[in-house]
Amino acid sequence: MKKTCLIALLFSASLASAHIGTNNVYFDGYAGPYHLLVIVQPPVVIPGVADIQIRVLTPGVSELRIVPMRIVGQGSDMAPVPDMAQKSSDDPQLYTGRLWIMLRGSWKVRIDASGTQGPAQLSVPIAAVSQFPLPMRRYLGALLTVLGLLLVVGLISIIGASVREASLKPGAVAENKTRRKARIAMASATVVVIAILWLSNSWWNAEAASNRQSVYRTPPVTVKLEGHQLQLHLENPNGANWAEPLRLNDLVPDHGHLMHLFLVRMPQMDAFEHLHPQQIELGNFVQQAPALPEGHYKIFGDVVHSTGFPETYVGNLDLPSITSAVSGDADDSGRQSAQPAGESSDLGDNDRMIWEKPSELKANQLLSLRFRVVDKNGAPVTDLEPYMGMAGHAVIISTDGNVFAHVHPSGSVPMVSVELAQTGHLPPTDTAAMADMPGMTHSAPMAPEVSFPWGFPRVGTYRIFVQVKRAGHVDTGVFEADVR
Amino acid sequence: MANSIAVPSPAAVHTARTAAVAEPVPWYAWTVAAAATCAIVGLHWDISWHMTIGRDTFWTPAHLCIQACAVIGCLSCAYLILNTTFHGDIANKRGSVRVLGFYAPLGAFIAAWGGVAMLTSAPFDDWWHNAYGLDVKILSPPHVLLLIGILAVEGGGLLLVMGKMNSSSAELRRKLDAIFLYLGGVILIQMMILVYEYSDRVLQHSAIFYRAVGLAAPVVLVAIAAASGRRWAATTVATVYMFFWAAMLWILPLFPAEPKLGPVYRQITHMVPMAFPVLLIAPAFVLDLLRGSKIAQSKWKFAIVASVLFLAALIVAQWPFANLLTSAHANNWFLGGQYHPASEPTSASDVRAIFVHYERSVGQFWSGIGIALIGTLFSTSIGLACGNWMRRVQR
Repeated sequence: MKKTCLIALLFSASLASAHIGTNNVYFDGYAGPYHLLVIVQPPVVIPGVADIQIRVLTPGVSELRIVPMRIVGQGSDMAPVPDMAQKSSDDPQLYTGRLWIMLRGSWKVRIDASGTQGPAQLSVPIAAVSQFPLPMRRYLGALLTVLGLLLVVGLISIIGASVREASLKPGAVAENKTRRKARIAMASATVVVIAILWLSNSWWNAEAASNRQSVYRTPPVTVKLEGHQLQLHLENPNGANWAEPLRLNDLVPDHGHLMHLFLVRMPQMDAFEHLHPQQIELGNFVQQAPALPEGHYKIFGDVVHSTGFPETYVGNLDLPSITSAVSGDADDSGRQSAQPAGESSDLGDNDRMIWEKPSELKANQLLSLRFRVVDKNGAPVTDLEPYMGMAGHAVIISTDGNVFAHVHPSGSVPMVSVELAQTGHLPPTDTAAMADMPGMTHSAPMAPEVSFPWGFPRVGTYRIFVQVKRAGHVDTGVFEADVR
Repeated sequence: MANSIAVPSPAAVHTARTAAVAEPVPWYAWTVAAAATCAIVGLHWDISWHMTIGRDTFWTPAHLCIQACAVIGCLSCAYLILNTTFHGDIANKRGSVRVLGFYAPLGAFIAAWGGVAMLTSAPFDDWWHNAYGLDVKILSPPHVLLLIGILAVEGGGLLLVMGKMNSSSAELRRKLDAIFLYLGGVILIQMMILVYEYSDRVLQHSAIFYRAVGLAAPVVLVAIAAASGRRWAATTVATVYMFFWAAMLWILPLFPAEPKLGPVYRQITHMVPMAFPVLLIAPAFVLDLLRGSKIAQSKWKFAIVASVLFLAALIVAQWPFANLLTSAHANNWFLGGQYHPASEPTSASDVRAIFVHYERSVGQFWSGIGIALIGTLFSTSIGLACGNWMRRVQR
């Protein structure tokens, strides 16, 4: 059973929309005065059941109700009857529930909290996509095979008996002619049953093929270097038959940018860039190439649709050494010759970023990835400022490149999706107004530490790039995590 | 007086003799009727549950009602089989068929097979949900296996009753015939559930509706009528279908319920039933009239004429009735035009009560009607063959 669950979790983490290798949602937010930490494990296939876990971090909450709703479009204004989240008997802070998600696309889990400080709401966006289905378990296959054989043998025998004896008067014995007819009927029935089984199998295959058509596929981005310019072309193979088709003409800015592009040199993972290309036409972006060492790069491009549906485009690129870089967007940042640290990453000038690393990192477990920035004397720094409206950005990539996540202190969902889920409206695009969005950090002074709620989806080695802004300059701490 | 012998009165003697002669309806006729009833009530309830509440588990009352069909059918027939095989006397075995070394009436084996098929469909359906999604459509392989299983339980019950009818006195035959026609009605209900996706009111001006009904209904009506031999058998079966279906339409909305599944396109406060039944009573009546004519003496002539008349009567009755069903006059408790699932968007044709032209051209429509005629002929022929065979069933 344990093995089965592990297999299920591994399969559930095989594909994702916003991130790669995991589609679990981690969200740290407030329902009015109540601080909640929410984990949503979306279903593997749609329609399917999502698992919800909510940890209440503020005392006084008496009950939580949860309900799934579409973020935009028809039906987004009417909710089904909310479910009562069940309080754990072992852990009074933990509430759980299961919700049915019926359509592919952009959804939210609305949490209605009640408590000593009155009622309040929080909405957590989720991207609902179908993944490749689970294979049938061996014991179930064996059980169905045995029952199927029993049905086939039973059916053929019944047909034989019906021809041989059903019309005989009680006590009469079937003549040889009738017995021969019965044998012919059984032989014919065998042929017909085989034909029916073959047709049924074809039907099953057709259903499976149809299902494969609706499986979410990681969209590709093709990149080429022209002079000092990276030229990106997006293609989306998904969503043709969705209630909310995925198009390239409805991308909206998140943290002020239509795309957050990440380049990582593989397999060393020693060069990392966080860039913000400009869209020049539908599906085509350009970016001034930063200075980069020669090598093979894995590319991840985060975008968000106007429905709040996030996607990560994935590509590969071989680059020559680029030395004379042209400056790009002011928010572009990166780090080269980055050697990973276990717990303390050098930021230059003897300043360091310290990871308050748990003693053991386990897969599929909610973690608070907490980092402190200290000066050469080990004292907390005082010059942290928001980087694109957030206290920090973390990019987590498995060393095989099959897991990618772009996480903020509020969790793994884009802020524009959060705003859309909360208010039903897209946020303003100018930076000043954006700073008023919930979850965006804009007050100074900022604490010299930043934490990210997340869970590693599988066992393996990961590289964590943590970015904070200090006095107008972005520092990137690099860490390595061995997850068991 | 202690040694005297009481002399019974002539009336008492008559009553005792009658009781000795009158054979009761066998218990299994009631159990298969109960199992079949569980199936159709459960299926209607389950579909209504999905249209209203939306979310379910294996343990919903509707699912349990459906599985009760498998349990009742399987257990009663298993008992009949085991009892006949291991405890039955020679007479019992001589009145049975032999399947894989077991003895029992043929219908018991078929019903038991149906029960096993239903039980097999449960884990298969559970896996299907996990692999491809939860109840995306009615017609999926595990659902079809379930429906075949239910049909086998009902068909087995039908044969059990038929076998007994063919060797019974006139009085018992009359009683069993009533159960037989009821079971026929139950099977017709299930066949109409099978083609429900194609029998929506907005499809009733399209050939696809007539293709679906022409394939599903005549096989049952003709088979039951041929086997029963009763004058108005087909009409009775169609009446059972229409009355049951309409009764569910009238009863289910009396129960309060709310959607528990998004997206919700309209607020619903009570159970949403399935749509008003198809007017099968009209073509069934025509079939019964035809059975009383000289044409019925020739199987092929009867099959061809019955197919044409069935389709014609269905079109004549249902086409104008569909106009009524899609009008504002249908928005009442009797016709139920105002009931729509919570998950049906306001843009849906059924909500807007606008006919969908399934075939894209007049040519396609008429070729569709031609296919419907071929399908009806096929269905009628199969029904006739089954009905005539059932009349000969003795065991």
